[in-house]
Amino acid sequence: MGKLWLGNVSDIADGQAKGFDPNHSGSDTFFIVRQGNELFAYVDICPHYNDTSLPWKRHHYLDSASDYIVCAAHGALFEINNGDCVQGPCKGQKLSKIPLEVSSQQEIWISLTTIKEFNL
Amino acid sequence: MNIIGPDKLIFGVDDVAACKQFALDYGLVTKDEQNYVSLDGTGIEILHKDDASLPAPLPSGSMLRKTIYGVADQATVEAIAAELSKDREVKTLADGSIEALDDLGFVLGFQVTIRQTLDLPAETINAPGAAPQRGVNLTGVSKDFTAKPRSLSHVVYFVPDIEKAEAFYSERLGFVTTDRFTGTGPFMRPAGTLDHHTLFFLKTPPFMQGVEHFTFHMSGPTEVSQAGYALVEKGYQSFWGPGRHIFGSNWFWYFKSPFGCNIEYDADMDLHDDSWEAREALPGADNSQVFLLQSREKWAPGGPPGKP
Repeated sequence: MGKLWLGNVSDIADGQAKGFDPNHSGSDTFFIVRQGNELFAYVDICPHYNDTSLPWKRHHYLDSASDYIVCAAHGALFEINNGDCVQGPCKGQKLSKIPLEVSSQQEIWISLTTIKEFNL
Repeated sequence: MNIIGPDKLIFGVDDVAACKQFALDYGLVTKDEQNYVSLDGTGIEILHKDDASLPAPLPSGSMLRKTIYGVADQATVEAIAAELSKDREVKTLADGSIEALDDLGFVLGFQVTIRQTLDLPAETINAPGAAPQRGVNLTGVSKDFTAKPRSLSHVVYFVPDIEKAEAFYSERLGFVTTDRFTGTGPFMRPAGTLDHHTLFFLKTPPFMQGVEHFTFHMSGPTEVSQAGYALVEKGYQSFWGPGRHIFGSNWFWYFKSPFGCNIEYDADMDLHDDSWEAREALPGADNSQVFLLQSREKWAPGGPPGKP
């Protein structure tokens, strides 16, 4: 099964996030948050309207303390590790989590099946 | 009540530096360390969410902490104080303004307005059959551009009880409903302005109560578009627009922001007086705008050099 290389874990600083646009649509379609050596990836669509992206600027997905993922439209906060919305318009809903592969060399990969399945 | 419109919105934010940079990139001017203003002096104040001087936040955590209305004169401030004192605490602050909660829990301030009278031309257009608005040999646009928001236009609240909200602003503060979306909320203007709305409500569950967006008036649709495009070029992300609303007829372009709400540019809003009869329409995309455009990177037809 084909897969796409997204970079290395070290490309994303601890406590930071990065957006990706694998099909060069002009807007990022998913993002990865790094916490320590753990990575969490979500579709870049806020469940409030299910039609709009989260950040106010590219890669700006987190609050200043890197405790929560933030949607910049109405300030919704999401848990980083599970995507649950804990404050804001979509409270009780969640971000759509997507699977990644991290190799023993710390390379980040996403399968083409995942890209197709989540329309990334 | 001769309330003119919003003078200032006070925010308690998470990322102060990002919000201040946004304010500058949007086109507001630094008045002092935390105040950013438009051409007529109306604007926003940016403080950290834990700043002790801020009123308590709404339970929802909304970053909007206070809406300060400008009124015509001190007599109006006193009239509002007398009216609201009937059933709630009204504080008089050191600067002479008063502070009270509305019926939904939003913190309001009232002061003799700081809004200065502007004497500036609107964006001009020429059209067959009409006298030229722009004289011979005067060009309409330039790439040399700086956005200059003119005046704090309106604020939109998420509220759980639109009937209660409309009744408070109408019966206690003299706002007039100009139009409404059925079941969603009314557009309201205070007595001291003809602007279609300075306040709009969107009905939501209680946990969403807060601010949906705020905006400043620009000189016209070209400035809305050019200012928005400049924000996009700086890396800011569009939420909705550019387009033109139906109720109010104002051009719009909304951007996501670090203020926990969207921030809009608007221009060319309808004016109404007391003879206007409010319209009502179902909410939804078709009744929200006459058209919606979407920005893309500058492009022109033609191939690479040498291939016209």
